[in-house]
Amino acid sequence: MNLVRDLRDSLIGKLLAVVLISLGLGLAVSACGSSSDEGDSGGSGKEGGEITISQTSQPDYLDPALSYTVNGWEPMWIVYTPLLTYPHVEGTKGGEVIPGLAEDLPKVSNGGKTYELKLRKGLKYSDGQPVVASDFTHTIKRVLNLESGGSFFFENIVGADEYIKNGDPEGDIKGITTNDKTGEIKIDLISPDASFSNILATNFAGLVPGDTPFKNLTEDPPPGVGAYVITKSVPNREFVMEKSPNFASFKIPQIPTGHVDKITTEIIKNANQQAQDVLANKLDYMQDPPPADLKPTVEAEASDRYSETTTGSTYYFFMNTRVAPFNDPKVRQAVNYGIDKPGLARIFAGELAPGCSFLPPGMPGYNEAFDTTDCPYGDPTQPPDLEKAKQLIKEAGVEGTKVTVWGNNDDPTDKVTEAYADMLNQMGFDATPKILDGGVYFQTIGNQKTKAQTGFANWFQDFPHPLNFSFLVDGDSIQDTNNQNFGNVDDPSLNKTINELTLETDLPSVADRWEAWDQELVSPPNSYVAPYGHRKLATFVSDRIDFDAIVFHPLYNNDYSTFKLK
Amino acid sequence: MSGATDRPVSDLQEFSEPPAVTQEGVAGESPWRLAVRRMRKRRFALFMGAVFVLLVLTMAAAPLWAEHVAHTTPSANHLSDQIEVDGEKVNVVGLDGVPIGPTWQGQFFLGADTNGRDVAVRLLYGGRNSLIIGLGAALITLVLGLVTGLLAGYFRGWTDSILSRIMDVLWAFPVILLGIALGTSLALGGLKLGPVSVSGGSLAIPIFVIAIVYIPYLARPIRGEVLSLREKEFVEAARAQGMGSFRLITSEILPNVLSTGLVFFPLLVANAILLEAALSFLGAGVQPPEPSWGTMIDEGVARIVTAPALAIVPGMMIVLTVLSLNVFGEAIRDSLDPKAKVRIEH
Repeated sequence: MNLVRDLRDSLIGKLLAVVLISLGLGLAVSACGSSSDEGDSGGSGKEGGEITISQTSQPDYLDPALSYTVNGWEPMWIVYTPLLTYPHVEGTKGGEVIPGLAEDLPKVSNGGKTYELKLRKGLKYSDGQPVVASDFTHTIKRVLNLESGGSFFFENIVGADEYIKNGDPEGDIKGITTNDKTGEIKIDLISPDASFSNILATNFAGLVPGDTPFKNLTEDPPPGVGAYVITKSVPNREFVMEKSPNFASFKIPQIPTGHVDKITTEIIKNANQQAQDVLANKLDYMQDPPPADLKPTVEAEASDRYSETTTGSTYYFFMNTRVAPFNDPKVRQAVNYGIDKPGLARIFAGELAPGCSFLPPGMPGYNEAFDTTDCPYGDPTQPPDLEKAKQLIKEAGVEGTKVTVWGNNDDPTDKVTEAYADMLNQMGFDATPKILDGGVYFQTIGNQKTKAQTGFANWFQDFPHPLNFSFLVDGDSIQDTNNQNFGNVDDPSLNKTINELTLETDLPSVADRWEAWDQELVSPPNSYVAPYGHRKLATFVSDRIDFDAIVFHPLYNNDYSTFKLK
Repeated sequence: MSGATDRPVSDLQEFSEPPAVTQEGVAGESPWRLAVRRMRKRRFALFMGAVFVLLVLTMAAAPLWAEHVAHTTPSANHLSDQIEVDGEKVNVVGLDGVPIGPTWQGQFFLGADTNGRDVAVRLLYGGRNSLIIGLGAALITLVLGLVTGLLAGYFRGWTDSILSRIMDVLWAFPVILLGIALGTSLALGGLKLGPVSVSGGSLAIPIFVIAIVYIPYLARPIRGEVLSLREKEFVEAARAQGMGSFRLITSEILPNVLSTGLVFFPLLVANAILLEAALSFLGAGVQPPEPSWGTMIDEGVARIVTAPALAIVPGMMIVLTVLSLNVFGEAIRDSLDPKAKVRIEH
C-alpha cells in the first residue's frame, strides 16, 4: 500500500495521478454524468463503476441506532456521518476525533460536563431534506427508545434515564438543547466523561431526520448524510449502497466522497465460496477473512491483493477473582505464565498477534514493548514457562482442583477454549471445557449465579479511548446480570485511576498513566486477566480493485469509500 | 407380487429342504439351532460380523495405542510441538494453522487436527465412545421398548392408551430434531432425576437421548405382537390355570417376543451410532474434550482442502461400522425370523 503513496509523492507520480484522475473523471462524466467531486482522495484507478462484495452473515441491523457489529458498522460508517467522526486514514491518525457534521470540535465547559457544538450549514440528507440541529436529539432518542446496545453510551446525558423510564418516544431529554435556526447543540452530562467526544463519533450518533420512525428500519434504512446511501435492503440476501447525490457538494474536510457508484453486498453463508469467488474475481471483496483452509491458496495466488492488519482488539482469558482457585493471585500468575500464546495464534491460522497487553495496539496508553519483548511473563512469541506455572500452582496448593473453562461454539473460540483447558491441565488443574452456543455465551458468563471460573473473552474497540477497555475490569461496572467484568476485577488502586482519568479530556497528556494502569492490571502480583493477543483482520479483494488505494481504518476496518476500480 | 417372491432365494431353498431323517425318525430342530444353520450360509454377513468384532477390539485397544505407541492422550494439544519425520523436525501445527498430515509412524499416524491432537488416538477413542453410546443406547431402548410394548399390549385399555399416546408424541418428532432438542438442553444443564445427577459433558447424556428417541420404533411392533399373542390358546390356558399377569408376561409372552427384540438390536446399535455421529456433528451429542467421530468430521470439514483426512477418516469409520452392523443385523433378522420385516425408518 505504501508503494503508490510514495509514487504519488514524487513529481512523476503527481503528474501521473493528475492525468489518470482527469481520464477517470472524464470517463465518469461521459458515462453517467456524475459530478467531478473527488478532490480529496486522488491516486490512480478510475472513478465510477459497480462492485459486488460479500458478508458471511447479515449485519445485525442496517439502522444506525441499533447496529453494534463490525458487519453493520463497516458499511454504515460511510452512510451516516455523526457530528464528530474520524479521518479516513490508517494508523493512530485515523483514531483522532475530527468534526463531522459539526463545524468544529466541541467546546467543553462546566468541568467537562457541558459540550457545545454547531451544525455545518447547508447540509442535506440523501433524500434532500435539510439537516437541522434538533435531528441530533431525535437520533439519540431513537438509540435510547429502541433499547439499542449502544444506549448505555448516552445514559450519562442529563435526563436520559427519565426519558427511558417514561417510555414516551416523543418525550424530552433535558440535557440536550438545540436551536434549528442557528444550528447550535448543547449537551449536559451528569458527570464528566473524557470519552464523550468519541461517543459522539460512534455510528449510533450518525444523524437521521427528525421524522424517522421509532422502529428497526433495517428493511428500509433511513436517509443519512454520507458518501453513500443504502438504496435497497433485503435481509439475509443483499443490500445495495449507491453514491449519495449531494454529499460531495458539502465538501466536508477529511471525509472522502467515494469512488465507485454502486456497492452491492451479498450475504453468502459459505466463506469458502466467497474466498473462491474473490480469487476468481467473481466477487470484489469479502468482509470476513478467507477461511483458514484456503489461506495458503490465497497467499500463494493472490498475495498482491491480500493483507492482514492488527486491529484494536484484545483476546484474553478472564479469571473470576470471586471464585476459587482464581481468587488467589498466585494462580492467576500461573495462568499468565503457562498459556501458550504462539500456540493459540496457530489456532487463529496466524491471524492473531501474540501479546500480553490488555490495551490494544493503537490505543493511547498502549506500550508495544510491554506487549512484546518486555512482557512480564516472557516473550509472547515464545513457548510458555510451564515449569514456573506448575511451581506457582504447587505453592498455591491447588493442584488437581476442578476448573470449568467456559467458551462458545463460534469458530475458532471452541478450539481456543479446548486448548486453554488442556493448558490448565498441563499446569496441574483438572480442567474441562464447557462450550455454549455463541448467542447465549456472554449473558451466561455475565450472570453472577453462573459463577464462571475462567474462560474466553475478547473486546474490539468501539473508539480509541482506554475507557472503552477499562470498563471491562472496572470494579464500579460489576453487575449481577449482563456483567461485562467477567472476572469481577475490583481493585481499589485500578478503580481510582479509572475514576481520575475519566475526567481527563486531554488524552495524550495522560497516556503514560493509562500505560501504567495497563501494566498494573496485567503484571504480577495482580495478574487479573490473561491477555494472549490482538486479532488481525484481512483485506482481500479481486484483481479489479485498486488494492493500494484501500484504507484499513483502525476503527471501521476496510473503508469502502476508498474502494476504486483499476 | 406374491409374498414368497419377496424372500431371498436362499430362504426359499431352506423352506423347501426336507427335515433331516435319522435312524430314530424325523429329528426336530430348535429355532435357535435353525437360525445358526441359516446364519452359517450367509458368508458375507459373517464376514461383516467379523469386521465389526475387529472394530470393537481395535477401539478397545485405544488406551494401549495412545500410551505405548502415540505417547499422548486424546485431548492433549500439541500446538507448538515439533516431531521428527524422516529425520526432519516438523511443526505439528504450522504457523498458518495447517496441521501435519499422516506420518505413518507411531506419533501422529493419521496426522493432527487444528489443536495439534493426534487424529489416530482421537479416532480410536472416538470410536470407543461411539460404540459405548451405540450399545448403551440400544440396550436401554431394548429394555424400555420391550417393557412398554408388553405392558401396552397385554393390559390394553387405559394403560395402552397412555403408553401409546406417549409413543405417538415421541414418534411425531423426526428423530434428529428430537435428538437435537434433548441433546442441546441436557448438554447445557445436565440431567437431574431425583438423586441421580449427570453432568452435561457425560457420555450418559447422548446415551439417554438416543435411547429415548428410538423407544417407539421397538415398542410399537412389540405391542402389536403382544396384542396378538395374548389371544392365543397357550396364553388362555395359562390364564385358566390361574397364572398371574406378571408371571404370564414374563414366562409366556416375553419369550415369544424376545426374538423380535434381538432382531432389532444390531440395527438399533447401527442407528444409534449414526444418530450419535449426527448429533455430535451438530454439537448436541458428545461434548468436548471427549472425541467422537461426529465431532471429528465437524472439525475436519473446515480443513477439507488442506487436511482432507480429518473429515474423511472418521467418515469412513462410521460407514464401515454401520455397514457391518446393518449387514450382520439383517442376516440375524432373516435367520431368526424369516417372516419379519424389521425396518427402522426415520
